[in-house]
Amino acid sequence: MNRRDFLKLSALAVSVTSGMPGFLARAAATAGGDKTLVVIQLTGGNDGLNTLIPYSNGAYYAARPNIAIGKKDVLNLTADLGMHPSLRALSKFWDAGQLGWLENIGYPNPNRSHFASMAIWHTADPTQAASDGWIGRIAETIGDPFCASNIGNATPLALQAKQFSLPSISSVDSYQLKLPAGLHDPFTTLLNAPRQGEAEYLQAATKQMLLNTAKVQKNLSKYRSGAVYPDSKFAASLQDIARLIAGGNGQRVLYTSLGSFDTHAGQRAEQDDLLRELAEGLAAFQADLDVQGLADKVVVMGFSEFGRRVAENASAGTDHGQGSVMFVLGKSVKGGIHGDSPDLENLADGDIRYKQDFRGVYANALDTWLNLDSKEILGGKFDGPKWLS
Amino acid sequence: MPLTPRTTPLTATDAAHLLRRTSFGATEAQIRALVGQTPQAAAAALLVFPTTTLDTPFKPAEAVAPYAAIKLFQAAWLREMVLTPYPLRERLALMWSNHFVIGTDKVKNLSALDNYLSVLRGHALSNFTDLALAAVKTPAVMRYLDNDQNKKGKPNENLGRELLELYTAGIGNYSEADVKEGARALTGWTFEGKRGPKDFADPQTFTFNAKQHDGGSKTYLGKTGNFGGDDIVRLAAGHPSTAERVAFKLWRSFVSDAPDAAGQAKLTETYRQSGGDLRQTLQALLSSQEFYASRSSIIRSPTEFVVGALRSAGRTDIDEKTYLNLSGTLARLGQDLLHPPTVKGWDGGREWINDSTLLLRMQVAAAMTLGNQKGKAQTKMADTVPEPSALALLGSEKMPSALAKLGSAQRTYLMLVSPEYQLI
Repeated sequence: MNRRDFLKLSALAVSVTSGMPGFLARAAATAGGDKTLVVIQLTGGNDGLNTLIPYSNGAYYAARPNIAIGKKDVLNLTADLGMHPSLRALSKFWDAGQLGWLENIGYPNPNRSHFASMAIWHTADPTQAASDGWIGRIAETIGDPFCASNIGNATPLALQAKQFSLPSISSVDSYQLKLPAGLHDPFTTLLNAPRQGEAEYLQAATKQMLLNTAKVQKNLSKYRSGAVYPDSKFAASLQDIARLIAGGNGQRVLYTSLGSFDTHAGQRAEQDDLLRELAEGLAAFQADLDVQGLADKVVVMGFSEFGRRVAENASAGTDHGQGSVMFVLGKSVKGGIHGDSPDLENLADGDIRYKQDFRGVYANALDTWLNLDSKEILGGKFDGPKWLS
Repeated sequence: MPLTPRTTPLTATDAAHLLRRTSFGATEAQIRALVGQTPQAAAAALLVFPTTTLDTPFKPAEAVAPYAAIKLFQAAWLREMVLTPYPLRERLALMWSNHFVIGTDKVKNLSALDNYLSVLRGHALSNFTDLALAAVKTPAVMRYLDNDQNKKGKPNENLGRELLELYTAGIGNYSEADVKEGARALTGWTFEGKRGPKDFADPQTFTFNAKQHDGGSKTYLGKTGNFGGDDIVRLAAGHPSTAERVAFKLWRSFVSDAPDAAGQAKLTETYRQSGGDLRQTLQALLSSQEFYASRSSIIRSPTEFVVGALRSAGRTDIDEKTYLNLSGTLARLGQDLLHPPTVKGWDGGREWINDSTLLLRMQVAAAMTLGNQKGKAQTKMADTVPEPSALALLGSEKMPSALAKLGSAQRTYLMLVSPEYQLI
């Protein structure tokens, strides 16, 4: 897009702001802050026990004769715990004290449905009463619909807000409108006609999109790639996240997903590949942030909706379980193991019993990193591991 | 209380509404042909369709690899949706493929995909229990939910769980014990046929392996017996809350994205009174006051966006390459046919809409109408675009005044990107 095109687009975007809800007017004033939280969703229920491996525990090997990670393959972190070999690209961050593992994370009355459990993580509400997401509530607290974005095709529930929808950006390069010649004025007139109901929602979403895309495209030139990313969709999403942060778009939370971890059969091949994609993508992302001079401003937090059952099933896979590990990564992260490992001999219906509530993990990010009131966003005060330094 | 029948004959906008919801849209002439009919007669005519499909130029079996075969299979389905005289059959198959979900990430066998789609078409108007039994027994579902790995003494719970959670009763209406007992009952259900990546064109068929079946007593949804797979599918499909969930699906597909407890309760009652008969339920739904009272309340899925544009313009001249491109476009708009992101399927509604998909819808509309767009949405459609009317595209007799001075292709483009076209 050349400069003239951009100016035309900006004019279009400005011309459609009339009639926008009041929260947009407030946005610029309150969206300050230069720290970014990157949330990684491991979709499908990642097996925590084969991610952070209790390699000194005989019960682990007894429960998983076919799919356990052999002691010789484990990347040792402590005398009892080590990482899956596919996570090797993250070892250097562990050594530098920039990688944290949060043990035994879950919530009360665990739900083994992917969707119910994911919704609980998204809404931060184990009663499943909330209809908006915890990041949507961050956006509403800040008052800026562009302060959080998903990189992907569909907006997850975590980013649903009551008043507006937060952007999903499938790729930053295609995130621009090229309106055919001569249609600028008729399109603006068409778009500005008064509407009701779902048509009004679509009208507002289109206007917001025009504003968002114009802003991002204007800022993109500030980024020069500082790392070679692996050839995967996940890595491309992480690079887009780096570009958005480097562009200074004021986004406080960026979100992306990797999946599918629903390993009911033949788990080793599937999870091994996915964890490698995760680790190599994140390593490139961290290297890039370093070059951008942004490594102090960004932390990464990864989660999955649940872990798998402790014992493998007969298909060399695992069925849905409860409780799992989370990871955090970044220069401002307190590296190490946070929390106690699960007791593999005292299980709940074949699953580990969680010991730390995920909302406590969110709370630390909200209070310490984003400087927001976690009680307001999460609907209560939650204690958890202090994973930020 | 069941749905209330509507008695007044159809106006032009009523007819446009009916065809937008049941047929992905229609031309001005097709809409006008329904004016004056009773809602009952119009619905009844739509609900009669054969299971045979059109001859297709696509030959997925001749593809060099499963990935290519799946692309051809998807394009063939898209072409059927655009050209078939029976679009409601395809819309129902699409709806049921978003209920009895499978995914081409795991199911890569052509006969399994073909059989699955045939079952959804053939049972689209059956009793729901019969549809569920037929759908669950497809090799596609066996593979997708790992039931070929579910053996006596070595359960794999995947199908047992999703049968209850997603196909029938829904969360909160069964226990973890029901999941486990159901998985036992489903042991031995599997499929025959080669399974390697190179065998994607070889036939797969459902089979019952008695040796792997756990014939012992099970307690499932409050009943006890030596249940097999058929028994528990029947019990789950007949569970009282299944009626509510089927009614919810039909409501979302044909009436509104927005929840309406009273309307859904009426639809549930209509479904129950029919004994779970989908033809009777749809006949009542598509000729009800509730159906005709709810306009522009469903956000078009990517498929409804693309197929709607083509059917409304009466386009029958599209080549194979363009269908393949458009099928890829559907995936980028968020609806990769037969490959939803998860086993729950697409939630739809406002989830179809975000900055990227809005932008892409605009690009696709430009490529379909203005024809000379650069970029990924290029579809190389014919240069001359027949101009669909505002009635055909927007369901309204009146063209928006902002479009008055534009040429035909530009008018069509802007109608396709308007908020009104995104809705049915």
